[in-house]
Amino acid sequence: MEKVCVLGAGSTKYGKLADSIGDIATQASIAAIESAGIDPKDIKAGYISNVFGIADKQVHLGPVLMSNLGISDKPSLSIESACGSGSVAFREAFANVAAGFYDCLVVTGVEKVTHTGTEWTTTYFSYCSDFFYEGQAGASFPGLFASMARAYLTEFDATEEDFARVAVKNHENGLLNPKAHLQKKITIDDVMNSAVVASPLKLYDCCPFSDGASSVILCSEKFAKENGNDYIEVIGSGRGGSPAALQGREHMTTIPSTKIAAQSAYKMAGITPKDIDFAEVHDCFTIAEIVDTEDLGFFEKGKGVQAVREGRTKLNSDISINPSGGLKSKGHPIGATGVGQVVEVFDQLTGKAGLRTVKDAKIGLTHNFGATGASCAVHIFQSV
Amino acid sequence: MSVKEQLIEKAKEGKVLTHKCTKCGHLHLSNVYYCQNCGSKDFQDEVLEGIGSIATYTIITVPPAGFEKYTPYAFVVLQLDKTVLRISGFMAGISTPNELPVGTRAKITGFDERGIIMERQ
Repeated sequence: MEKVCVLGAGSTKYGKLADSIGDIATQASIAAIESAGIDPKDIKAGYISNVFGIADKQVHLGPVLMSNLGISDKPSLSIESACGSGSVAFREAFANVAAGFYDCLVVTGVEKVTHTGTEWTTTYFSYCSDFFYEGQAGASFPGLFASMARAYLTEFDATEEDFARVAVKNHENGLLNPKAHLQKKITIDDVMNSAVVASPLKLYDCCPFSDGASSVILCSEKFAKENGNDYIEVIGSGRGGSPAALQGREHMTTIPSTKIAAQSAYKMAGITPKDIDFAEVHDCFTIAEIVDTEDLGFFEKGKGVQAVREGRTKLNSDISINPSGGLKSKGHPIGATGVGQVVEVFDQLTGKAGLRTVKDAKIGLTHNFGATGASCAVHIFQSV
Repeated sequence: MSVKEQLIEKAKEGKVLTHKCTKCGHLHLSNVYYCQNCGSKDFQDEVLEGIGSIATYTIITVPPAGFEKYTPYAFVVLQLDKTVLRISGFMAGISTPNELPVGTRAKITGFDERGIIMERQ
């Protein structure tokens, strides 16, 4: 298996964007190409992740992007895996470089939905659930994670204020990220007093619907070395699955696919959770970050909430969780999120993270899932 | 009648159609065609009473399209009695968490455009 490296990375700002979905995908890809210091003609294929291109009248985004980059003759693959689309596209690209099929690829994730409004997004996002049992019965995505939150409150020593602490922390980090969607300091009271969306989750427990695009250049180690620019190495890659509906899970305070993907990625990397300096995890809702940090092995089951209470997941504490601000503050353009996490790790490990730099970081992890974790990918990166 | 149509008919009678693996005995909801435990394709239908206790739930106040007129309502995961299976559904008229503590007894009462319908027992 070839060693696989990330040679360049770029994102648009996340938030409400005016340009078309094809245009923002192109803008992020150009930023990644320029960051890598390559010529678009070096790119052998493209992997494009997106869920609701239909909302901006553009599906089959791969060829649109490749045409805009002046490489319309190159193959592309458009990938949908709900909110985990970006990490799945990254994984497929990783596997193709690792297998030696290609020595240089672009992976671009994109989403544009904010113009559709809350009802459209709430409704269409619910189609990512196991619809017969969940979406059809009126379960929104906040509702499904609220069901996990209710189970967590019942099973463990946790309060709704504890969930709020996750939001407060991620907004603190997001304030240091110029590309973040919600650049706003908030307090526990702000979260507790925000409108209930799906009990026990309130508006500020939820990530925003965002537009945005992120892109990375993946290549072989040989290609990276010859290029001469800074790069990082992908040392672990794992994927996993869970029952599509929450009802299929014996415990509703854990996401099986995270555990499976993480174990696989740790094994490939030959490391343990203790070796991770920082992680970008899938905090679509505050409860999700707590569950994620347990399933990834950073804390024991039921203890993630205590770690948050004690500030152990803040920037430059025991383990910096979501230094970018996470989905909660940086924003969640669902097709782009998994790629955007890799952009953050690249920036952190190549000294481009500015005020939110995790000090002395050598190893970073990304964790991104689709729906309530029905599909998941975990990647581990090391500075060179 | 398709398996899904049968499941819907049983839900209207307050029951749950399940698939029991004839090889290892593992019980699944009827949407499963290969045993998650042993991989066997041989199942026998087993009809359970749609009665149990609330495993978890939420009360939705920002609904998807079509649910505005029912809001607030609960989305519920029901732990079925005497089995390992859980099944989810819609419960009308719930507006505060103290109306539906985890463990509350509940049952399936029907099926309509809101999916499987449940009520407190």
